[in-house]
Amino acid sequence: MFDKGKINYWHLLLILVVLIAILPILFMVSNSFKTLRDSYNTMLSLIPLRPTLNNYLMLNRQVNLLTLTWNTFLMAAIVTIGKLLTGLLTAYAFRSYRFKGKMFVYLIFVSTIFVPFTIIMIPNYLVIAKLNLLNNVLGVALPQLCDATGIMIFLKTMEKIPNTLIDAAKVDNIPNRKIFFNIVIPILKPSIVSVGAIFFINSWNEYVWPTLILKDKASFTLPLALQNYISSEGGTNFPLAMALSTIMVILPLIIYLIFQKYILNSISTSGLK
Amino acid sequence: MHNKNKRILPFLYLLPTAILLLVFMIIPIIYTFYLSFFDWNLIAPTKEFVGFKNYIDVFIDPINQKVILNTIIYIVFLIILNFLIPYFISLIVKFFINKMQKTYKILFFIPSLFSLVVGAMIFTWMLNPVSGPIAFILKNIGISMPNWSNSGILAITVICFITNWKVFGYNFILLLTGLGSIPQNIIDAAKIDRIPKWRLIFNVVLPMNRGISVYVLILTIVQGLQYVFTPINVITTGGPYYGSSNMIYQTYLNAFVLYKTGTSSALAIVTFIIFLILLFIEIRFVEGRSDKYV
Amino acid sequence: MGENNATIELKQISKQFKDNKIINELNLSIQAGEFLVLLGPSGCGKSTTLRMIAGLEEPTTGDVLINGKKLKQIDEDGHTVAMVFQDYALYPNMTVYQNLEYALKVHKIPVQSRRSRIEAVLKILNLTNYKNRLPSQLSGGQKQRVAVGRGMVKKSKIFLLDEPLSNIDIQLREKARDEIQNMHLENRQTIVYVTHDQLEAMALGDRIAVMDQGIIQMIDTPENIYNKPTNLFVAKFIGTPQINIIEIELNNGQVLFNNKPIMKPSTYKLDSKKYYLGIRPENFSCSKTERNEFSFEVMVDNIIDYGRFVQLSLITKDNEYLKATVNKFDFQKGETINVTLDQSTSIIFDQTTGKNLYWGNYE
Repeated sequence: MFDKGKINYWHLLLILVVLIAILPILFMVSNSFKTLRDSYNTMLSLIPLRPTLNNYLMLNRQVNLLTLTWNTFLMAAIVTIGKLLTGLLTAYAFRSYRFKGKMFVYLIFVSTIFVPFTIIMIPNYLVIAKLNLLNNVLGVALPQLCDATGIMIFLKTMEKIPNTLIDAAKVDNIPNRKIFFNIVIPILKPSIVSVGAIFFINSWNEYVWPTLILKDKASFTLPLALQNYISSEGGTNFPLAMALSTIMVILPLIIYLIFQKYILNSISTSGLK
Repeated sequence: MHNKNKRILPFLYLLPTAILLLVFMIIPIIYTFYLSFFDWNLIAPTKEFVGFKNYIDVFIDPINQKVILNTIIYIVFLIILNFLIPYFISLIVKFFINKMQKTYKILFFIPSLFSLVVGAMIFTWMLNPVSGPIAFILKNIGISMPNWSNSGILAITVICFITNWKVFGYNFILLLTGLGSIPQNIIDAAKIDRIPKWRLIFNVVLPMNRGISVYVLILTIVQGLQYVFTPINVITTGGPYYGSSNMIYQTYLNAFVLYKTGTSSALAIVTFIIFLILLFIEIRFVEGRSDKYV
Repeated sequence: MGENNATIELKQISKQFKDNKIINELNLSIQAGEFLVLLGPSGCGKSTTLRMIAGLEEPTTGDVLINGKKLKQIDEDGHTVAMVFQDYALYPNMTVYQNLEYALKVHKIPVQSRRSRIEAVLKILNLTNYKNRLPSQLSGGQKQRVAVGRGMVKKSKIFLLDEPLSNIDIQLREKARDEIQNMHLENRQTIVYVTHDQLEAMALGDRIAVMDQGIIQMIDTPENIYNKPTNLFVAKFIGTPQINIIEIELNNGQVLFNNKPIMKPSTYKLDSKKYYLGIRPENFSCSKTERNEFSFEVMVDNIIDYGRFVQLSLITKDNEYLKATVNKFDFQKGETINVTLDQSTSIIFDQTTGKNLYWGNYE
């Protein structure tokens, strides 16, 4: 209802929010290219006075970036694939079959969102220890292979597939397995991609479970390595920590830039009731 | 044969999820419940049955009392920062601007790509009371920055702000989607009747959007209390003197730092009961209306 | 111009969405108290036009004037315009009564006065028993009546309706149409009514504006729209079965169809050349036995008896299809019969512009 040409002052507020969101990130990247001294002397400047790669080189000498990245990637990949598979299978079962206690099972799944990790951490820690998977990213991934949010998003997308489509396949005597892989999965592709991207990014950034399971530095993931910098050397060498953070965010950022549209849509679906 | 297949198949599809849930969720909950009646240190071969002692401790131990109070403060802060502010901003984006909605959406979401550890690191730098940029600016205008890590309530504020930085975009998009599902025609109808915007928002939009807002509100509390674990552990480890700890963090401290498994389990069970009450509210308001699986 | 109505004037309106020009230099003036129907195929710009009158869209260029002034200048409290939406746009969290009351309440109409207004409207629309229900507890027809009622209680000078009947059952439609007509007869508001249904348009409109591709093709009374369409589009769009368009040649005072004379107009002022001839299906005389100098032979391809009339599908010797409607017939499918076209109701169109030439007699 605003007249054309009139400035909408609400944009000022929104731009302020954007600045709060984005400025810390810009400072992080900028500092990672500053010398320790410049990071203090020119702390309000976003453009490094004397850009340097020293922080990255030093980081590379202090930690094994390749192993760290590989550990993180492996963990995130396993968790993502596991959550996608269990989510798709569960949602498909809900979509296609009537069975007793369906509502009850559905509510159990939804409830898992409300289970605090603290109530399962001791037993799960003991199980992982028993399985001899401490200090192993498999041990981090194993308890997290299914996820209620994924089930709910897939279920919602599947409900949009018309019944007639499945019926047509059933009339043609197509086995269920084939209906699932040849009809349902292709239709779900966009949501699989976006939910997968979200799972991956979240797992990539995960801190809580890794900190319980991974104690040995060789098994660390990137967030744990970063935390190590803040608690031991941190405070004294922020540019180094910021270089590690910058490396850490490259992959999530690329994934977001590629799938941005799908990811934002998918979040919308997850909240739609 | 075919018929039998039909009955078994859904359970086959549900099997992986069911096993995972059973092994890593349901049995652990029961086991934690069991542990909450014992005195144990995670390693010792024997556990000593102590009845409700652990539960009584949760409520009478002064540290735990402090932690419960902190938890309430956390909840209030989280609701303001992670629910009310994103809701307000999503209303602005939906109803008060005509352009750039998509750009804001994309930009607001970017911090969600970052680990909370990164968030904790950046904000410890920015808010460093001695050598951080904010302190620098404040000093130049003659204000000295308090050493927030020495004050429980200030530390809680900073920690909540860090999680807000991360989850703001996510909650914003959820709430904006809810607003987007309100038919444009209803808004147009009100425009023709010259209903003032804020009036329309309070009388029509907010009531219509109640389902999703309750969902986001409760999720904000439940997940927010768990999200803050990371900045607490990275920045304050619960200090100063449990001043920034909450029930979630205290549960972790008891289990893996103090090795008081029983207290930890009792705290976890109490937390879970609180969350279950919230879940019940969620079902009443949100899920309850979709009775398609009955 | 009276107390309860207003004139509407659209001056050189254009509306563009990105590169897509929806409305192209549209001019339209609607008299106070008139019932004007905007009729056209989907995507012709009729709803956009209505939304611009309502002030929901700003024209890219041009002005919308209500009683000679812009809507914003006169409509502080929203009493000038009421609008009914296709999907009703009822507030789902308010009861029927609250829906009707909401705008009045916001604009501080005293309780007494609004109650009597609402009760009166509820009574007219047979909604009194439903006033405490929520929209989700109503049938489609009831929702539609609430939507109309919400407009009625405002006693606005202008009432806009955007396809208000397209979402209800056909059986209820006629009744709802009567209600809207009665409302107009009683209150004499200026009504702009958008529809794609020509029967609705014919039944309701004082005048009909036929729109296509963002342009008003013709604006006139229903009768003239039907009998004297200004161009091929209007001729084809109005009437079911559709008007027959055939290519003819005017030569020596005779109309030649496939080189055979089919009619001889008494007066005309047109050059001798090719034209399109439009003839409505009901203006055919068909017979197996009777023939005259202007009749020609066709084969009966199909006969559909609708009860009220019989629709014939005819094929000429040159494989052209014609549609005719008759009341009785003495022939069967597959037979060859003679048809004669009524010259006085036939319409002649220019081949390049598609304009109605009125046999050159006027305009």
